[in-house]
Formats: sequence, structure tokens, C-alpha cells
Amino acid sequence: MAPTKSINGQDLQEMFAAATSWLEKSSADIDALNVFPVPDGDTGTNMLLTMRSTVEESQLATDHGVSSVAKAMAKGALVGARGNSGVILSQIFSGLSQALDGKDDITGKELADALTKASSVAYAGLSNPVEGTILTVMREAAEAAQAHAATVSDDVVSVVEATVNAAKESVAKTPTLLPVLKEAGVVDAGGQGLYTILEGSLHYLKGEMEQLKLRRPWMVASSIPLTAKSPQMVGVEEVPYGYCTNFVIKGEGLNPDKLRKRLEKRGQSVIVVGDDSVVRVHIHALDPGDVMSYVGPLGTLHQINIRNMDEQYRDFIEMQKERMPAVEVAIVAVVVGEGLANVFTSLGATFIVPGGQTMNPSTKDLLQAVDVVASEKVIILPNNKNIVLTASQVQSLTKKTIEVVPTTTIPQGVAALLAFDYEADMETNAQSMNKAKAAVKSVEVTRAVRSTRLGGLDIKKRQAIGFLDGDLVAVGDKPDAVVQDVLARVKLDEVEVITIYYGDDTTSAEAEEVGATLDKQHSQLQVEVVQGGQPHYNYIVSVE
Amino acid sequence: MTVKIVTDSLGDISSDVARELGITIIPLNVLFGEGIYRDGVDLTTEQFYQKLLKSKALPTTQIASLGVFVQSYDKLAEESDEILVIANSRKISASHEAMVQAVEKMKRPCRVEVIDSQWAVMAQGLIVIAAAKAAKKGVGIDELMALTKKNIPRADIRMAFDSLTYLEEGGRIGKARAFLGSRLKVTPILGIREGEIFPFSREHSRARAIDHLYYFATSFSHIDEMAVEDATTPKEADALAKRLKSQFPKTNIYRTMVSPVIGAHVGPRVLGVAVLGDRG
Repeated sequence: MAPTKSINGQDLQEMFAAATSWLEKSSADIDALNVFPVPDGDTGTNMLLTMRSTVEESQLATDHGVSSVAKAMAKGALVGARGNSGVILSQIFSGLSQALDGKDDITGKELADALTKASSVAYAGLSNPVEGTILTVMREAAEAAQAHAATVSDDVVSVVEATVNAAKESVAKTPTLLPVLKEAGVVDAGGQGLYTILEGSLHYLKGEMEQLKLRRPWMVASSIPLTAKSPQMVGVEEVPYGYCTNFVIKGEGLNPDKLRKRLEKRGQSVIVVGDDSVVRVHIHALDPGDVMSYVGPLGTLHQINIRNMDEQYRDFIEMQKERMPAVEVAIVAVVVGEGLANVFTSLGATFIVPGGQTMNPSTKDLLQAVDVVASEKVIILPNNKNIVLTASQVQSLTKKTIEVVPTTTIPQGVAALLAFDYEADMETNAQSMNKAKAAVKSVEVTRAVRSTRLGGLDIKKRQAIGFLDGDLVAVGDKPDAVVQDVLARVKLDEVEVITIYYGDDTTSAEAEEVGATLDKQHSQLQVEVVQGGQPHYNYIVSVE
Repeated sequence: MTVKIVTDSLGDISSDVARELGITIIPLNVLFGEGIYRDGVDLTTEQFYQKLLKSKALPTTQIASLGVFVQSYDKLAEESDEILVIANSRKISASHEAMVQAVEKMKRPCRVEVIDSQWAVMAQGLIVIAAAKAAKKGVGIDELMALTKKNIPRADIRMAFDSLTYLEEGGRIGKARAFLGSRLKVTPILGIREGEIFPFSREHSRARAIDHLYYFATSFSHIDEMAVEDATTPKEADALAKRLKSQFPKTNIYRTMVSPVIGAHVGPRVLGVAVLGDRG
């Protein structure tokens, strides 16, 4: 293939579109690269959703120049960013767009400069950049691009090739830089995601369409293999999108099971019930026409009902807006679980954005909530370490004044909310909320999604694992015992209040038993057991 | 001839202090079913809370009839020709209204001035006590009015509540509605702002709520008067008063209890600190 001296905006757009499809193939594998064997904020999914938003926005660029395409991409990445890796990815696109400002096309050297800028913007966006992550991969890839462009060739494809090779090496090295990765025997998920995006871009630039279509991305192996790799997928709940499609098929020899399997490829939330003569179908599809034309030949269609879920969601948001009382400072909290959402609402949270550990909201989701509330000043409680960075992006997208109180657990969020003073101004409130958040300890107990060895503990899949302020400290067969085990590490004699939020796979009797035991052991404790209804986590306990 | 000081029983001034400083307290009424009791006269706080425990329906309250106010004024007018009436916040009770109306119905000629304290419970009480102390020293009514008006913005109060049910049922919840319906056991800290009940804070335990009251008092750089009042937890209040005394050894701390009429609106286990003083 002839050398490609430069690429234009359309190339850039198509290149990242191809990279997104490439990433999609391995997003589930990337999700499985969690350090902690917990149902986690899925890095692969988060990066994929961020890339989708990036590519969608790039199609709205005003012209085909590199400059406008890169600007549109940066905007798409920013509003679509989910999770920490998504936010860092959006910083990378912001850096690219800054470096490519005013350019119609780019040479290999210019691309290397843009990657360097992307790297520095990504580092600058974090108050505490950690090596052995996507940041290291970006930096080393950019360094390789610079070196290649300066000494070997200014050809775009060869620069990208050097970049991809360096990224791959860098990913493999992440466990040597970050001890938690080494211990868990995995490479950094965000780094792997970035490498995959670069690799997909390279395939596109080389014209390797067959590769893109038929092959799967290469998962970089860590120097220490996984003790027992068992990729665990956790369903990512999405805000509904597309069309909620319902209909009945009447015919002969219908096969509901086969139909269900076929429809699952065409949408989500598929429900197919019935027999060989009548089948009722429910599906959330982006293209209901595709679904209808598929089922049409199977029989006659009845009771067809197609509703636009985006519209429904917007209506819901509008309705919420009308119902919202005007308060001077509104509080937007990210919470999952009906019980927990009720706790936050009852304590004065103005708007709940559904989300948490397995479901990181995008910057746009938070932005919508901020726009909806009737106040000009908004405090955001992310309540998860993987959402804090997303929340901090919101300020750049709204005229309202935003304070993020960086709560990383539900107990921190509750403590912060309780500290909210109706009389004080936003700055004072942010200060006292930060102080209150620091005064609480958080215990979280969930089930291991795979076997691993971590923090000196041997963990088998499905065992209960307990965290104290984010550190894995206990493992056992029973969640109740693990809660006790974690709490034993806290000086309970100095504690005043313990609040136990039990999840949707824990019974109230089990939770009450845990509470009663604590009550018996420590007379000064005020123990409260509350139904949290959170998924995946048997217990979330606040210790104050 | 000293100026006579009058207030209503919503100021929670104990009868001993009232006697010593020559303060006339016009009682409101508590109604348990058929029975009508004059606040602090026919019913002590302890008796009230005992009845509350046994009563099926929540008690209601009413201000004294106009005649009672007129009689009280006329009786004082026999001894003095100047009376200063310091009322409960008119945004909280109708007592102020009756106190103003009663002036016109008086039989004896006498100068009566009615001031809306914009406070209730011991925040109101401390303003009245300060006026009574000055009156006892022979300060004239104009100066007393100026003093009282100057003291109104210098008073403040915080109260820890066990439950907001009584405030809500009695229709006095106001802005503290924001604290209703909590799914967690919290101790709301309420106060009064611009004459109305105001939600200040929530604490996750009783101990922290008491700390909150303590830090509220210590946020004052200068204190003229201070009061610690309780409903059903005298030991807790004594301990708090002792803690505050060691912080403010020169300040006299009034230890009082909420009156039965206040009790009907705040319920059991209420604990409050009132201060008349200056901040930073």
C-alpha cells in the first residue's frame, strides 16, 4: 500500500468510527479486567459509550476539515463521558482537538504532536495522576509517535503503527507500575481500551476491512497470568432509548424460543411469550422497522404499539421539572436502589440520577439533572469513586454554579447530605459536607465475580468480600459474617451510629440479625437497619 | 415606680424567676379532651407529659381569653402607670394579637406598650428577663423598649427534637417541613428565624445533637444570658448545662422546662439552648 502522507477530517471521523466498532468487540473482555472482583463500573462499556458519543457528534461537524471534526469529537466525548476512563478519554480528545485547531489535514508529525498534547491534557485533568493506567499508555504511545515521526518517517500510517506497538507494550507493563494490577494478575482496563482504539484506527488506516470485520481485538496479557480467569458480565442498565415495541403475531408453527433468540440480536429487554399459534413480543429496538420486517413473514401482526422511549424519558424529565420546588441550592445525588433513593430524597436530595457501581452515569446524564432542577446552584454527590471525575466535568457544560462534594460511597453521601444547612450558602455547605463525609467510615460487602488473590486473601468466585473504605479486608462464605469481620477492624467502642443498608438479595431478617448482634455487643451504639434495595451489594454499612 | 413587665407562658420562664424579677406571665391553655388547664398554673410540665403518655388524642392549645389579658393589665395598672408587654412571635401564636387588643379594653388609664419579641420559648424568655432586670433597676419604659428592640436580634435558640409529629399535627411545622419524612432516624435541630420556626440541621445521633447545641452556644463571643431547657430529660439537660458552665463560668445559666403549651407542640425529649449575646 502506498504511503499515506496525511489524512483529512473525514479520514479522522471514519477512523474513530472503525475504532469504536473494534472496541465494541472487546468491551466485555475489558469489563472483565477489574482489579477487584466486584460487579464494577465497567471500563470497557464506559469507554465504548464514550466513543459512541464521540463518533455521533463528529458526524455533526460543520465541514470535513480536521479541525472541525476534532472539535465535534471533543464535544461528543465530553458530554458522553462515563466513568473515570471515559472522562480521561474525553480529555484525550480535548487535547487532540486543541492541537489540531485550524488544520484541514494532518501529517504524521502533526499527529504525533496532537497525541503529545492529548497526553499532557489528560495528565493535567487529574489532580493525582496515577502511573500504570491509561495515562501511562497514552504518554508512552505519544512518545513513540514523536520519536518515529522525528527519526523514521512522517507517514501517518507508520506513525500510528509505532503508536499502537508502543501502546501494546505499555499496556503489558501496567502491572509492573501498579501493584494492585500485579496482584490481581490483570493489565489496566483503561489502558487496554485505549490500545484497542488505537489498534482499530490502524486497521482502518491500513484498509484492513476484513480484519476489522472478522477478527477480534488482541487482549494484552499481563506478565502474571490470571489465577482463574472467568469473565463476568454484569448487565449495564441503560436509560431507555430507541423504541419500546409491542405486538402480537398470529400464525401457524410459531417457535417462541427461536424467535426470542433472533430478536435478541435486534434489540434489548426482549420478552417473547406464547405458543405455536399466538406470540406476544416486547422489545426495545433502535430500529423497529427492522423488527417488523423480520417478523412480518411469520404470520399476521396485531396490537402493534411503538413508543419513542427518548420522548418518554424527556417527558418524564419535563414532568419532574414542574414538580420540583425552588430551593436556593439543589442537591443532585447519584444513587441506585429504591430504598437508598428514598433515603436520599427523604433527606432533601432534589434529584436522583440512577447510577452507581455497575452503572456509571454519563456527564450528560448529570448535566440533564443539573439543568432540570429549579436552582441556579447545584451540589452534586457522586457517591462512587468512578463517578467523581464525571461529575467534575459538568461545570464546564452549564452556566449554573456547581460544587462537587466528592463522595465515593453511599454512607459518605448520606453524611454529606445530613450536613447540608438550609441557612448557609453553597460554599459553606460544600465545606461542611466535605467535613462530614470525611468523618464516616464505609463498609461494603458484595460477592466476588471471579476467583483471585488480593490483599493477601484467597478469594473464590461467589464468596462474600468485604471492603473498608475501599480496601478489601475480608472474605468469607456468608455476607453476614463478612460484615462482622470488617466491622471488627473498626474501634466500635468509639462509634456512635451504625446504619446498615441491605441490598435486594439480602432479606430483612438477615440484616436485622446483623444489627441485633452489634446492638448486643456494644451498648452505646445506635444501630439502624434500612432497606437499601441496592443491586449486587448485600450490605453497605455506615459507621460514624 | 417601676415599669411592669408582662409576657405569655410561651416564654418558658420558670415561676421562681418570674417571682424574683416581678414578671407577670399570662398563661395559655392546654386542652385534653374536655379538660382545660392553664399553662404552668393548673398543670406542671411533669404532669403534662404524664397526661400526654396516657392520652389517646393529642392535646390542643389556645390562648387565654381576652378578659384574662384585660384583667391582668388592669391589676398591674393599680400598681404602676407603665406596662411593657413582650409577646411571643406573632408568626407563631395569636398571643400578640390578644395582647394588643386587650390594651383598648382596659378600664384603668395606663401606658401599655406591646412588643413582638419575634421569638418563642427561652429566646423570648431571655429577652423578657433582660427587660425585667433593667426595669427592677428603675429604667423607664422608653429605654426598656429601646433595650428590648436592641435585644431581639441578639437572641437565638436551637432545639433538638425527638419527633416533628407534634409540630406538624399542631400546624406549626412551617419551613421545618423540609425535615419531615426522613427514612433515617435523625435528630432535627430547629430554631427560629425572622419569627418563624426554621430547620437548621439534622444530626445522626442524640449525642451529636447535644454537641450541636453546645457548639451553637460556644459560637457566641459574649453572652448576657443563657438558658438550657428540656421536656422530659432533665439529667441530659443538667449535663449540658454543666458542660456549658465550664465553658462560660461567669454566665448564669437558667435551667428551665418547656411549658405544657409548648410541650403540646414539641412533644417529649426536646432539648434546647437559648442565648442572648453577641457573635464574633
